Amino acid sequence: MKGYLGQLGAVVRKDLTQELRTRQRLATMGAFTVLVGVLFNFSVDPALVSMQDIAAGLIWLTLIFAGVMGVGRTFSLEAEDGAFQGVLLSPIPRDALYLGKVAANVVLVSVVVALIVGVFGLFFQLDYGAHPLALALTLFCGVVGFVALATLFGAVTAGTTLGESLLPVLLFPLLVPMVVYGVGATNRLLMGRPLTEVEGNIRILGAFAVAAVAVGAGLFRHVVED
Amino acid sequence: MTRRRDVARGAATLGTALALLGAALFLVLLWMVWFWVPTEAVQGVVQRIFYVHVPSAWVAFMAFGIVALCSAMYLWLKDERFDRAAVAAAEGGMVFTTIVLLTGPLWGKIAWGTYWTWEPRLTLTLLLWFIYLGYFLVRQATENPERGKRFAAVVGIVGAFDIPLIHVSVLWFRSLHPQPVVLNTEGPALDADMGITIGVAVLTFTILFLGLMMLRYEVETARARAALLEAG
Amino acid sequence: MTAPGGPRLEAEGLARTFGAQRAVDGVSFRLDPGCVLSLLGPNGAGKTTLLRILAGGLRPSEGVVRLGGEALDTRSPEWQSRVGVLSHQGFLYGHLTARENLRFYADLYDLDDASDRVEAGLDSVELTPRGNDEVRTFSRGMKQRLALARTLLHEPDVVLLDEPYTGLDAHAAAVLRGVLETLRDGARTVILVTHNLTEGLELADRVAIQVRGRWVVDAPSAQFDAATIHDRYREVVEGAGGGAP
Repeated sequence: MKGYLGQLGAVVRKDLTQELRTRQRLATMGAFTVLVGVLFNFSVDPALVSMQDIAAGLIWLTLIFAGVMGVGRTFSLEAEDGAFQGVLLSPIPRDALYLGKVAANVVLVSVVVALIVGVFGLFFQLDYGAHPLALALTLFCGVVGFVALATLFGAVTAGTTLGESLLPVLLFPLLVPMVVYGVGATNRLLMGRPLTEVEGNIRILGAFAVAAVAVGAGLFRHVVED
Repeated sequence: MTRRRDVARGAATLGTALALLGAALFLVLLWMVWFWVPTEAVQGVVQRIFYVHVPSAWVAFMAFGIVALCSAMYLWLKDERFDRAAVAAAEGGMVFTTIVLLTGPLWGKIAWGTYWTWEPRLTLTLLLWFIYLGYFLVRQATENPERGKRFAAVVGIVGAFDIPLIHVSVLWFRSLHPQPVVLNTEGPALDADMGITIGVAVLTFTILFLGLMMLRYEVETARARAALLEAG
Repeated sequence: MTAPGGPRLEAEGLARTFGAQRAVDGVSFRLDPGCVLSLLGPNGAGKTTLLRILAGGLRPSEGVVRLGGEALDTRSPEWQSRVGVLSHQGFLYGHLTARENLRFYADLYDLDDASDRVEAGLDSVELTPRGNDEVRTFSRGMKQRLALARTLLHEPDVVLLDEPYTGLDAHAAAVLRGVLETLRDGARTVILVTHNLTEGLELADRVAIQVRGRWVVDAPSAQFDAATIHDRYREVVEGAGGGAP
């Protein structure tokens, strides 16, 4: 008997095992990331705009678009053979189920973000030298906040007839604070500015992430239970 | 059952009364805006659109507060009446949000020389409009109507948590990026008569909104009753 | 298996409305432990809705469910950990192995001796040799056997079976029959929803017919034989204008 954490862990382990075996979501998100990098390269005239100046925005937008693709599929993957119904009939607390899903999705999206950072760094000659840890923390806070909201609304859209196409409409307006503070901090970090300038941003991003997870955990029950 | 119906009918009567009072006040407001209040010195006659713009914005955000509150109550108590109140407020809110988005750029074109600027309050209103849109989209996109109501309530509640954060973030963004063509970043400096007119306008729009919301609530109640009768 | 004298399952005035429609309209019953009840009825009679309520997947609009005299919220973990559900869908993950599927559910039900139970479960449905194969490679019958093991993994007091025979091969059907007998002996309560009147009558101790959300028949199966159950069924279903079985 491991209780709450055991149940939560079972969801995480199940989701990651499934993903490792099929690599469905990682493959599409990864290919998307690289290809977006290629398209970005041709959409900017290097004589007029320097890639380094807009890289922060590109990183965050790619995170969001790839994330919507991946996290949006969480619940449609569950639909096969009614498996999710079986999960909902089990005594797992709904917030444990939600937190397990969020944790697995955070792992998944973090891998993609690492790929984004690597590929864009290579493509656009970005210098991560100054504060790599602060940059990682900034992106991680963003990933947690994003995944928390995307998982909640992914469950909502999976229950509608419109499906995943509705997810960006529900999600994007809510992501404005994350983009503003995330891009703000990332920009400064890429320019090698002192950490004191981004401390406030990271703190707000962290608060956004914690609040999003808490609200999601509280509301998830109302989304999945008829 | 009859008692509940009496209460409902009382709400309808009150709604009609408020709507009529709001309409009467609106005529007074129109008179004040056209004939009574002085023209603002810097911006000229176009500033008068403020007497529609500002109270609409106030109502739009107040409505969303009602939506979030009623949504939370609905999820908590599963009482249909809270959902009806929430959807009634959301429809009114969407109308007034649209008014803000139409009047803002009209004024902006003359005051700022451009239809659209990322002025924080205007930006926030645009995002609010999309949150309202999401509220209605999920509501209509489920086969089981009760599920749609729950989904909409979730959108309403998360939106209410996020709106203050969006506001803070767009303000912060603005502080970093001064706008290129801005004649006047703040609203006009108000003299006493203008203040009174704005006050009357806010009161008028609030009463009008509450009246419309109650009437809309009645429509929703009647619709639910009709569905019950139809199912036999 | 627990000793005979498990808890008694009671329902009182269960109802569920969808919008203005009453899918389940006041169902009450009392089932002693060890009782197998067959629930019959035409499509759209609300049988599956009733089962979903009893399974804890759907909030009842009205009514109470009691287990061993204790009124329980069907959405609570206390209730859900004492009920097992098998439907024509297996609730299994195709990309996980049979063992991983059972292990996942054992953890969701927070079972003490998860590994032992998983092995015993695999063994009981004769799937131990295929335990490490992904479920998507299984035949329909094997999937259904695994689903049966999943249903019984936490030794539920109440077992709900929704059309479990749909598309089963002979082997799986035989396993299922054997399990039903074990459940009866182990003083579990079983509700079996089926379209097949003869089969439903044969397996059950009690028979209920649900039409338009209500139980119009609820009687010991000994009252009927293969001919009279068909007559009775036609009578109540056509009498209510309920359509074909």
